[in-house]
Order: sequence, then C-alpha cells, then structure tokens
Amino acid sequence: MGPDIAPGPAVPWRKVLWERQPFPDNYVDERFLEELRRNEGIRQYRYWAVVKEAVLVGQQLSCVAIFITLWLYMEQGLLSPEALLWTSLIVGLLGYGLHNALRPQLGSDRKPRTHLADLQSAAIFLSFTFGFSPVLKTLTESVSTDTVYAMSALMLLAHLVSFPYAHPSPTGSLSLNAALFASVCLASRLPGALHTFAMLSCALLMFALWPCLLQSIRDHAPGPSAWLCVGVCLGGVGGLGSRWPGGAVLLALALVSVILLCPLLLVKLQRHKDNIQGPWDEAEIHEDLCKVPY
Amino acid sequence: MVLKVFFPQCCNRADSGLLVGRWLPGRDTAVVLAVIHYPFIPSTVKQYLQQIQGQSQVPVEVLGSWSMPSEKQEGLDSFLRDLSTIFPQTRWLQVSREMGQTGFSCQLLQLPPEKEEEEEDRVIFVHYDQRKVMLSQLHPLESPALPGCEEPSELRQMFWTVAHSEPLFLKDKYDEGPLKLSHWQSEGREASILVELMKLASTPLCLLLAWLLAAWSWVTSTRLLNLSPLRFLSSKLSSCVQLSYRTAHMKTVTSPHTATSHTHFMRKANVLVSLLLDVSLGLLFISWLYREERLARLASALLPAADRVSRELEDLLQWLMGAPAGLKMNRALDQVLGRFFLYHIHLWISYLRLLAPFLEVILWYGGLSAALGLTFALSLLSDMLALLTFHIYCFYVYGARLYCMKLYGLCSLWRLFRGRKWNVLRQRVDSCCYDLDQLFIGTLLFTILLFLLPTTALYYLVFTMLRLMVVALQGVLHLSVDLINSFPLFALSLRVFTPYRLAEGVKFRVLSDEPGTALHLLMEMNALGLGEVVQTYRTPTYSCYPPDSWGALLRKLFVGELVYPWKHKTTKTD
Repeated sequence: MGPDIAPGPAVPWRKVLWERQPFPDNYVDERFLEELRRNEGIRQYRYWAVVKEAVLVGQQLSCVAIFITLWLYMEQGLLSPEALLWTSLIVGLLGYGLHNALRPQLGSDRKPRTHLADLQSAAIFLSFTFGFSPVLKTLTESVSTDTVYAMSALMLLAHLVSFPYAHPSPTGSLSLNAALFASVCLASRLPGALHTFAMLSCALLMFALWPCLLQSIRDHAPGPSAWLCVGVCLGGVGGLGSRWPGGAVLLALALVSVILLCPLLLVKLQRHKDNIQGPWDEAEIHEDLCKVPY
Repeated sequence: MVLKVFFPQCCNRADSGLLVGRWLPGRDTAVVLAVIHYPFIPSTVKQYLQQIQGQSQVPVEVLGSWSMPSEKQEGLDSFLRDLSTIFPQTRWLQVSREMGQTGFSCQLLQLPPEKEEEEEDRVIFVHYDQRKVMLSQLHPLESPALPGCEEPSELRQMFWTVAHSEPLFLKDKYDEGPLKLSHWQSEGREASILVELMKLASTPLCLLLAWLLAAWSWVTSTRLLNLSPLRFLSSKLSSCVQLSYRTAHMKTVTSPHTATSHTHFMRKANVLVSLLLDVSLGLLFISWLYREERLARLASALLPAADRVSRELEDLLQWLMGAPAGLKMNRALDQVLGRFFLYHIHLWISYLRLLAPFLEVILWYGGLSAALGLTFALSLLSDMLALLTFHIYCFYVYGARLYCMKLYGLCSLWRLFRGRKWNVLRQRVDSCCYDLDQLFIGTLLFTILLFLLPTTALYYLVFTMLRLMVVALQGVLHLSVDLINSFPLFALSLRVFTPYRLAEGVKFRVLSDEPGTALHLLMEMNALGLGEVVQTYRTPTYSCYPPDSWGALLRKLFVGELVYPWKHKTTKTD
C-alpha cells in the first residue's frame, strides 16, 4: 500500500482513464448500477395489432393451399385449363388495374415502371411458359410421383419459410424461386401441355404478382387489407375443404394457431422480457453515416 | 596439423626421384601426380613443368622427394635433403620406403626452417587409382561457375587436378628423353587406330548430314507448309511431332563443334546411341512385317475390326436408348441423343467403306517409315489409331460439351435460385436483386436443366469411358516412343561396364594403421546409382514435363473438360 494508492476522501473518483488517480484500474464506486437500464426501447404490443400483422402469414399459407387446391382440381379433370386461363387473365387484368390505380397515390421517389415494360414482361412470361410447356410436360415423366410430391412439398415449405412477410413487395429471390420450382414440378404431372401452361400462369399470378398487389393495398388502406387477408384465409380453407376435408381441418387449425394463438402467446410472454443495458455495453454509433457531410 | 597426401597407386614401386604434383590452395593437402626419376638435370625439370603448366592450366610443381630402397643407393638421405635447396619451396615432402615395411615414412620440412620439427605432424596417405580418377566424373554435376567464385570442395579440386593434368600422362615410359617419369601409363595408342580413323571419317559425314538437315529444315520452314490448317494438323499428328524431334536430335549429333563439356558429350553420345538403337529396331520390325504376307493379312483384318467396333457401339446406343441398368432417364432427350449418335455411326461406316480399297497400300507405305526408326512406326500406329477411332472422339466431344454446358448453366442458375450472382470484379459471390422475369426464366431453365442432367451425364460417362480406353492405348504407344527417344542408353552402359566413370563421391578403406607410421587409406569410387544415371542423363523430351496429375484429371473429367492423351506443354510456336 503506497501512499498514492490509499484512497483519500478528498479525491473523488472519476470515470476517466486519461488521468492518474489513486484507485486501481478496475475500481468502480457505488454509483455503478445507477446507470443500469432495463428493456430500453421496448414496444408494447397490443393483441389486435399483432393479429393484424399475423393475418399476413396466414394469408400466404392459404395462398399455397389455394394453389394446391387448383392443382387438385386440374389433376382430377374437374377444371378445364381454358377456364383457369380465362379466370387468370380476368383476375390478372383486374389486379393490374387496381395496382395502377393505387400506384400514383404512393408518391414514391422511384421512377415508376412504364406500361410498355409491364407488357414486355408479360409477353416474356407467357411466351416462355407456352414455349416450354411441352418440355415441362415430359420433364418428370420418368421420376416417380412420390419424389415429385416430396420435392414440391419441400420447396413450398422453403417458400413459406423464406417469404419476406414484413415487405412482400420485392419478393425474395429464394422464396419466389422455390415456389416456381414447386409449381413446375407439380404442373409437369398434369395430363396436357395446356394444363401445364395454365398452372404455371396461375402460379405466376399467385406467387409473384399477388404479393405486389397486396403490398400496395396495405400501403394505401391498412384496414381493408387485413379483411382481404381474412377473406383469402377463408377461401383457402373452403377450397381445400371441397377436395380434401382433412387437409382443410389441418389448415384451419394451423391458421387459428398462427393468427390467434401465437400473438396471444407473444403478448402474454412479453411481461417476462428482461433486457438490461448499461455502461458495459459496447459503444454504438447513433449518427446516420449517410448524413455525415463530406 | 594433419597432412593429407593423395598418392597414385602406380607410383608405389617407382624408383627414387622427385615427387611432382600440386598443393591444393588453402589446404594442407598434396596431390602427387608423378615421380621423376634420377638422374635429371634440375633446369630441365623446371622447364618441363612450366611447359606442362602451360598446356594443362594446372599449377604443377615439385612437391618433394621419393626414395625407394635399393642396393645401389646408400647414404642418399643427405642428397635428398639437399635437393630442397635446388627446388625452393615453402614445404618439402620427404617420402621414403623401408625395405621390410609396407608403409611409407614421411617428413615435412618447412622452409624457412625456423619451425622445423617443432610440432608433431600426422600424415595420411590416400592411395588412389590415377586412371580411374582421371576418367571419372564426380556427381552431382556442378554448374559451370566461374573458378574462384565459390570454393569447391577438396575432393572436387583433387579430381579436377588429376583430370586436367592429362598432358603430364602423355609422356610415355619408353620415350627417350632427358626425363624419366613414373605415372599411369596408357595401354599405348596403337590399339586405337580404328578410333582415329573413325574420328577422321566422322567429320565429313557430319558435315554432309548437317547440310542435308539444313536443306530439310529449309523445306519445312517454307511458307507453303506453314499455312494454318497444315500447321495445326502437323501439331496434332504424333508422327509429325516425332519427325521434328528426330530432326532436332540429328542436329545435336551432327553439329560440327566438338563437345567440350561432359554434359554436352554425354548428350551427344546418348542421342547417337538411342538413334542407332531405334533404327536397328525399326529394321528388325520391317524384316518381320514384310515377310509371309503379314501386311495383307493385317489390312484385311483391320476393316472387319473397325466394323465390329461400330456395331458394338450401335448396340451400346440401343441399350442406352432403352432403360440402361434400370435407370429412368428423360425419354425424349434420350431418343434425340441416341438417334443423333446412331446417324453419326452410320456416317462413319460409309467412310470406312470408302477407305477400304486403299488400306493395304497405305499400310505398305506406312510400314516403310519404320526404316527411319521404330519410333516412327509407333507414332504412325498411334495416328492411325486416332483416325480409326475418330467417331469415338466425336461422341466424346459432343457428350463432354453438352455436359459441360449443362453443369456450367446449373452452377450459375443455382446462384440465381438463391438470389446471388458471381461478381467478376471481386471474384466472389454477391447478393443481387433480380427482376421478376429474370427470376422466372432462370427458375424455369434451372428446373429443366436439373431434370435433364442425369440423361446427359450418363451419355457423357459412357463415351468418356470409351475415350479413356483409346487414350490409354495411345498413351502406351507414346510412352514407348518417348522411352526410346529419351532413354540414356550410353550413360547406362557406361555405368554398367565402367562404374568408375560416373562417380558419386568416394569411400576410404584403411590399408595399414601401424602406430608410429603414417595412416594409409585406399580411395575407391562410389558408382552413381542407376536411377540417378537415368534422371541425370535422359534426353529432355516433352513428356519429361508431367501431364496432369490424377487428381487434376479426375477433376477435369468431372467438370467435363476435354482430355487429350498427351498435352504438349512446350509446343514450338515459331
């Protein structure tokens, strides 16, 4: 104990390292825990708000169910490809009109796509799908049906897992590709080339374009979009129930648990959240780097 | 202080006289080269040594005296001691032999004599065979560095001294002259008259051959023969490649400059011997081939064999077009590929029919090429094999290209599938935001390629196996050609019959180690190992550079790159 280490009451401890002080390096005084903060920046979830967001997940689940329903109808010959094509065309045109009607009010700073570009994209979709549909038809001929089903199920699951639920508008590459892969696999088991074409167009509509439309509806009118999602969910359960009641029950259970039970669990468990922050945390740079003048 | 004296065995029983040799610079080592007998005139000795020095670049000097006991000479010691004053040296060796003893006794006189006899000198006598040391070449061969740039080892210096003092040994025992020397005696020159005659004859022969070769290389370098299709063709035909190698070899042999360095000489001799061997083997082959109508039988057997191969291939394709080995392949693609290849075989068979009447003539003239050497016949055989199995090569190339493209497409589309792309600038995989239509088409193609891959892969596998069989055959032919081209037969026979010529270090054996006298060692050569001989002296040809390793070959096969029998890494471009 040298004289310079003995804590003199006259010298108060200061939390600086650039000054020689009569304290050991790891010294802290009793004010240390005053800086402890708990659950900083927490958001208190309200039940119905969470349910409104969770409906989106259920909606995507139902979309997959609707697609499978349509495929079942096609495979059993209950739905003609022409009917599906005409329906898809009408629904697509309606959706495009709605999307265009909603777009100007967004006022986004990005340059909007022209109608010509949309037309070009549509032409590419249709021509490629139509041209490749005979190839796709014979693609999985020699592969066993179980393999195809397993692959499709896996891919649809991958689609659901990797779907960007927070912002569905630029669809994630992996989710869209997985869904398209699954739909190609399923469509190749259908009896004719036109069936394949119709099924792929339907898949494009459902997995690529519908999330875009839904995003713009949500941006424009959050209230009705939730009800729209509920409608999609009901449609999915009803559709699946018409061909496969057991599946419909399972889907309904899954939807209820996702939409109602999981938010409840989240809100209930939020009381137990205990995050502590304090001076021991590593430093955070709060300044936005984009605003630094240079 | 330990003094080493290298003493030639042939001087063991020489009459008394002067020791002539050299002190190795910077070491306590003396190399005795010869003994000059009494009587001599000192000025003549000095003059002779200067003359030898001028001829051989070896600083030969008088080392000391040598006394051999005999009846006539008594009381010689004082005379020998006086000799040192006649030949002023800093060190003076006095070596003498006693009557009943095997060992020598040695005294070293330091001049000026203030340090004389003060410390006990140990002397080691190393007896060496002068002829063997003179003829041998110490390995590993040193690079021709500047003398004095780096201090060579003692042994190397000793070898150098003995090998370069050849003019000293030219003086014959029977020569009448003022000096009598004792050293290694050659067997006389009379026996080598034939060699001398051949040497005389070889010069005009070499000149003639060199002129012919110059004419030949002028013909090959004319513009007509260097047009692009001909050049490409000749670089692919192994007989043309062999021709160019042989021309280079002949140029080496017939160059009018005499070989100065050991390596150069060995290269020339090796090439000459392998050339002679090659030609004699080729003549043997011709004498076998052109007898008993073997050629006609061969020609008549060749076509049915090729036909048979084609039919087997057809069967194989039919099998592949069904469900080979129970594999389920894409039926449509399978049919397309199978029909394509069947048509190819059909084309091939008609080509063979066209070729059939000329086959025997072609074989007859081709067989004549064996007169140039067996290697030519083998190269020609390899070329004919390549031409007769051209359809297999075509199948292989189609299959490999298709497979390679598919694999490449799948790789990049798999990246698109995960929303990544290959960044060329940074050489890494980056994430990327694709458009909707890009994603759609990419996924469509990915699915198609993925489901069609097994069919293509199977075709590729089968045709690769066929190709590998042909490549293995051609590889064996090329290897044997290369063996004949590059095998150092001369060096190997030198090693077998006169092992001391190619030495790899020395070993010592103790002759006598009596207390009180000097230690006597016998120096013997270690012969160079056979593998080392082959490695050091083989003529460099293209296959000295190793072809792809097995791992690289497998990787290439997996990726679908084309595999060739022998990649020429050092193609002569101009």
